Amino acid sequence: MNSLFLRFAAWLEAQPWSSDLHSSFYMYNWIESAHVLTLVVSLGLLAVVDLRMLGVCWNDIPASRIAKRLSKPMLLGFTLMFLTGILLYAAIPVRTTQSIWFRFKVILLLAAAINAWLFHRHMNASIGAWDTAPKPPRRTRFAAGLSLGLWASIVICGRFIAYDWFDCGQPGNSVFVNWFAACPVDSGS
Amino acid sequence: MDLLPLFTGLENSPLGVFVKDKGATFALIEAVHLMALAVLGGSLLAGDLRLMNVMLRDVPSRKVTDGAHTWFKIALIVLLITGFFMLSGVAVKCYHNQYFWIKMSAMVIGIVFAFAIKRPLLNRDHATLRPWTLKAVGIASLSVWLIVAASGRWIGFS
Repeated sequence: MNSLFLRFAAWLEAQPWSSDLHSSFYMYNWIESAHVLTLVVSLGLLAVVDLRMLGVCWNDIPASRIAKRLSKPMLLGFTLMFLTGILLYAAIPVRTTQSIWFRFKVILLLAAAINAWLFHRHMNASIGAWDTAPKPPRRTRFAAGLSLGLWASIVICGRFIAYDWFDCGQPGNSVFVNWFAACPVDSGS
Repeated sequence: MDLLPLFTGLENSPLGVFVKDKGATFALIEAVHLMALAVLGGSLLAGDLRLMNVMLRDVPSRKVTDGAHTWFKIALIVLLITGFFMLSGVAVKCYHNQYFWIKMSAMVIGIVFAFAIKRPLLNRDHATLRPWTLKAVGIASLSVWLIVAASGRWIGFS
């Protein structure tokens, strides 16, 4: 699996547009800025929904109304954030594929997606009972707290990708780092 | 008034040296800054888009903006604290960066607008305000904070 990802990343990096994207000062920075600004839209609106589900804000507004009204702009933000994220990956594919932070981020993104899906399903099934309650049931609050925690961790991992602390070949990398990042055996330890 | 000695002093202070020497500290503060920016963005989008009658139209605007203002204040405090920490590590670089000054100017305008104009206005009964006044407040607020976020992002690139 790792070698498949790495082969794909190497193939991507060999494409002229990948290096063009990375070396283009304005294009790369515009994409990165768009990634951050769409993060503000998507995570910002997600925070509004999660804070309501936690029962700490907008308690006098039905929970379902907040969730439904904000879902479209939130999904638009997530889509744009995802697309700009793919472009950022495509600009530096090999190093990113071998970044432990990127790998943690992908795992956390999958966990956040599963949590969102379960949360949505649970909300649709039970909302009638607590829609106008200032404090939603414990399971709902747990899912909202988990969502905020997962996304906070995703933001931290995303920020850390830019740093080379654990890049393959860094002296002092532990066995775990070399294994988790799938570093080539001769990349030093 | 030349502010360079102030910025140099900040960067050479124990706080500046700590932030600069510990790369992980700076990165972690950056991440918290980004999360607070997201919360600030969410509270502004919910409140201002409601004022512009774009979103949550079936909820009284007063309810939306009151809740939004609470989280705007919390996020702003976190942003100011983490922003000061980040600044202390790269104060001299920021002093010479035009985008830093654009961001600071826009931020001051944004804070003054939020607390001296927007809040007192929205504390009144919204039904007594003209719809275009509410829309104008929403547009102005979002525009100023968009400049703050975009120019802040560009500080790192220039």
